[in-house]
Amino acid sequence: MADLSYEDSKKLVFKGMALLAVVTLIEVAIALVGKGYVIEGFHLPVWLMYISMIGLSLYKAYFIVYEFMHMKYEVKGLAMSVLLPTGLLVWAVIAFFNEGNSWNQRRTLIKEKNAETIDDTRKSTGSIIDLKDVKNLN
Amino acid sequence: MSVVNYDEDVLIKEQGFDDHFHDHHHGDKYQSNFITTYIFSQDHKIIGKQFLITGMIWAIIGAGMSIIFRLQLGFPDDSLTWIKPLLGKWITVNETTGIGTLAPEFYYALVTMHGTILVFFVLTAGLSGTFSNLLIPLQIGARDMASPLLNMLSYWFFFIAGVVMFCSLFLSTGPFAGGWTAYPPLSALPQASDGSGAGMTMWVASLVLFVVSVLLGGVNYITTVLNLRTKGMTMWRMPLTIWAFLITAILGLLSFPVLVSALLLVMCDRGLGTSFFLSEIFVGGEALNHVGGSPVLYQHLFWFLGHPEVYIIILPAMGLTSEVLSVHARKPIFGYKAMVFSILAIAFLSFIVWAHHMFMSGVNPFISNFFVIFTLIIAVPSAVKVFNWIATLYGGNIRFVSAMLFAMGFVSLFISGGLTGIFLGNAAIDIQMHDTYFVVAHFHIVMGIAAFFGMFAGIYHWFPKMYGRFMNETLGRIHFWGTMIGAYAIFWPMHYLGMAGVPRRYYRFDNFETFSHFSQMNQFITIAAIIVFFLQILFVVNFFVSIWKGKRVTTKNPWGATTLEWTTPIDAGHGNWPGNIPAVHRWAYDYGKDGVEFIPQIVPLTDEEKENEADLH
Amino acid sequence: MAHDTAHTDVIPEQGHLEHKDYMDSHDGPAWGGGKRPFKASYGKLMMWYFLLSDAFTFAGFLIAYGAIRFSMPTWPVPDHVFSAFPGGFHGWPLIFVTVMTFVLILSSVTMVRAVQEGHRRNKRGVMFWMALTIIGGAAFLGCQAWEWNTMINEEGVTVTKNPFSTHLQGGTYLTGAEIEGAGFEKVMTETHGKTATYYLEPGAEDIEENRLFVKQNHQKEVLAGESFKEEDPYLITYNHDTHLYEPSAFKTPDGSIHKEAFGPIAFGSLFFFITGFHGFHVFSGVVFLLIILINVASGLYHNRSNNYEMVEKIGLYWHFVDLVWVFVFLVFYLL
Repeated sequence: MADLSYEDSKKLVFKGMALLAVVTLIEVAIALVGKGYVIEGFHLPVWLMYISMIGLSLYKAYFIVYEFMHMKYEVKGLAMSVLLPTGLLVWAVIAFFNEGNSWNQRRTLIKEKNAETIDDTRKSTGSIIDLKDVKNLN
Repeated sequence: MSVVNYDEDVLIKEQGFDDHFHDHHHGDKYQSNFITTYIFSQDHKIIGKQFLITGMIWAIIGAGMSIIFRLQLGFPDDSLTWIKPLLGKWITVNETTGIGTLAPEFYYALVTMHGTILVFFVLTAGLSGTFSNLLIPLQIGARDMASPLLNMLSYWFFFIAGVVMFCSLFLSTGPFAGGWTAYPPLSALPQASDGSGAGMTMWVASLVLFVVSVLLGGVNYITTVLNLRTKGMTMWRMPLTIWAFLITAILGLLSFPVLVSALLLVMCDRGLGTSFFLSEIFVGGEALNHVGGSPVLYQHLFWFLGHPEVYIIILPAMGLTSEVLSVHARKPIFGYKAMVFSILAIAFLSFIVWAHHMFMSGVNPFISNFFVIFTLIIAVPSAVKVFNWIATLYGGNIRFVSAMLFAMGFVSLFISGGLTGIFLGNAAIDIQMHDTYFVVAHFHIVMGIAAFFGMFAGIYHWFPKMYGRFMNETLGRIHFWGTMIGAYAIFWPMHYLGMAGVPRRYYRFDNFETFSHFSQMNQFITIAAIIVFFLQILFVVNFFVSIWKGKRVTTKNPWGATTLEWTTPIDAGHGNWPGNIPAVHRWAYDYGKDGVEFIPQIVPLTDEEKENEADLH
Repeated sequence: MAHDTAHTDVIPEQGHLEHKDYMDSHDGPAWGGGKRPFKASYGKLMMWYFLLSDAFTFAGFLIAYGAIRFSMPTWPVPDHVFSAFPGGFHGWPLIFVTVMTFVLILSSVTMVRAVQEGHRRNKRGVMFWMALTIIGGAAFLGCQAWEWNTMINEEGVTVTKNPFSTHLQGGTYLTGAEIEGAGFEKVMTETHGKTATYYLEPGAEDIEENRLFVKQNHQKEVLAGESFKEEDPYLITYNHDTHLYEPSAFKTPDGSIHKEAFGPIAFGSLFFFITGFHGFHVFSGVVFLLIILINVASGLYHNRSNNYEMVEKIGLYWHFVDLVWVFVFLVFYLL
């Protein structure tokens, strides 16, 4: 905070508080309006809601780290040494969520297959697996 | 320029800087008695030795376990009655024949403990703990770690973790026996097997304590390297050892917390009845209430740690090897910057390849494609390193001392173990190879034995710095050649076993028609393992005898090395340099420059002298 | 040299080596060594790297949460789950958690003020703002306690049971007469001194698995006859008199009779575990803040050469707790 006077930085803090509060309110508003709690029959597309809420949360995180935790005033090397490693999580998020989704698909597939009645009239193709099923397995 | 004339002490006095070290040390009240000097010491050099010796004790225990289960595998019909005094009820003696057999549950416990101990206690704490502590302050020119207190706590958390694990060996139900990876359901259901009850609880407790130790150490190493370097010690002048320790510490800092996440969730499954990692489980014919979790989720979380962990083990060995190769080849390390960037690349890649340990666990084959590609890319930086090591040796004036032999052995092992990694990294080939002895051979050579070789190279090389004496050179060479040949004798045949499909973790093979003709090969492996084990005992004897009886070091810089640790007094006290801290003027690898054999980092550049390539950034 | 050796004795984290004169002045001439590249003391750096590793612990939990949530065919709708408010209010989606978030933001702001006062070496200011921060942290914990209590004791969510879920198809809740009309038997039994009324298929063996109830909410308003659409959230009522969950019967458009199924149990376990782990961080933060507040009051930091840096370090930790809450709030309450 070396480059700001005491009064300025004090003001900045309360501005920051207002900012975080407003962003949080917007997030909640998106959740409520988007799901039709406020205006009857009005819905936002789910992807738009998710993207805007994730974006706003990331902005909040950025603000907390950069202003409240003073990252803005640290040397760039320090900031990068702390922030860059979190990038390693990006691939983890993609891979884990993809996995979760695939467990879901497989469970559904197994459930469907268990409920299926076997069609005896179908001619044997000589193959163990029906090629139609292979597509679903992903 | 002609001959450089310098006197180290004068240089440090004139060029170094005064941090008023002695103003604060009228009698070191922190090292006033035996306990504060040798037990609860805050001196990084003592803590390094504590890590090393504790690691050696664990190595003997862990290797001893492997000998017992190798005996079982090599000689399944022979009596183990002679070992009953040690193992007690885990050996059942047939009353009529007198033949003692190893309890199958205990075989699994031995395999599990062997893995856990070697991976975490020996090759993580014993290797990076030892040398990060010993070398970071010495080679960057610092009085000690950033926080000596936390550094001391780091060792003691490791020690307590070890005590907890050791106690678990004596549980009546045995220690944890579900493999060092502790996959659910064996780890998540206390009733799943004998070792899954109290054994697993203690295993988790021990590992959580261990992670605390790693984090305390890691935060310290990173901060020290980044913030406490001496005057002139830029990042590009740091020896490769320091780069390796820095990156290792970062890897540990980022990956071990995820292991804690996984272990805490496992503990919830065990104690609170949650279903994070369990689904549709039957035990003893009875359906359990656990629904909706996934054991593969645990595997993902575990290997998100587990793969970086592999590099936590091997990177310090790479750093030590680079340094030792350069010093004893009397040549600058080839491609210093390429070495640094390949360490960084390996570290980055290690975080995005974890699922190659799980190709056959039911991972979505689509996502596996990416893991295959990322995995195979690791071959590039690894090959860069290997090329540079060999290029460093090329045309060198090589001194075949024990440290150098082990460093070269490291390169050999890293190549042969690394190549099989390319096989296993392919999901398609992994279908055949997974969970066979091929895997066992691969990771033992590339991160087990190779990391040990890096560690031995480090120990032989820095022993004079640690104890002011040399280790016995003859015993060192016997140790090297025996271990080198023995290690290949143990693990080379395992590749063939694996390719033939012999699965790992089996208690005995003679019941299987397919595998029974491998019994002689298994005997051969077992005998080789026993010989290698005793060679390591020889090393331990050499180590401890040399501490008191070894040849004394008479000069500060016995190897003619350039780095800062050799400018400290032979028996450096707390604070490392008695007066000023030396200042650094050049990189760590000025060997054979302008016809001079070596120029220490503390020697200023002469007017007409050019800095080496790495400095020109 | 401004400090004396006796002074060192009271700095526990400093260890024995007095690095001060070349470590703790930021860019003064006292640093005789190389450039300190990060221009930060080792203590702050260590705190940053600790927080980085802690972030990975939370990341492990949250990513596991995501993977499990993706693997479930249904997931409770957050604004249905979190819709209670102290004073017996219901159907106020996300209002209470917004209040909680405000409380945490406020305590973060007061923490920044405490750090700023520390820079001015204003001891009273530091104490005042730190005390407010502690109150904020405690208030947040109190809110969390209320939320947990509501979920566990009123709504019946536990780590192994989750009565919140989402309908996979539309339908209508049935009245007792309709259920009986479909061939079910009405059963009345004593449990915990109260009468439980439910309906059973004749000959059903596992009573707990097969009994049906008439839909009524926690306020004992009977909701039979109400219709719902696919993806509408529901809560299986936990009857506080009989201590029974009451999965209710409903009829789908094709005429078949179904029973409300329990939601994914991972919801409850993940919610309690992750918010609990965060709450544990808040709790330890409050404890550390208290200790440091006492140290500030004793004047310990006032004479240190690095002044109120300890306040800054705990400040970093405290903001980190707030930072984690941003993501917990996002994934549990918003998405």
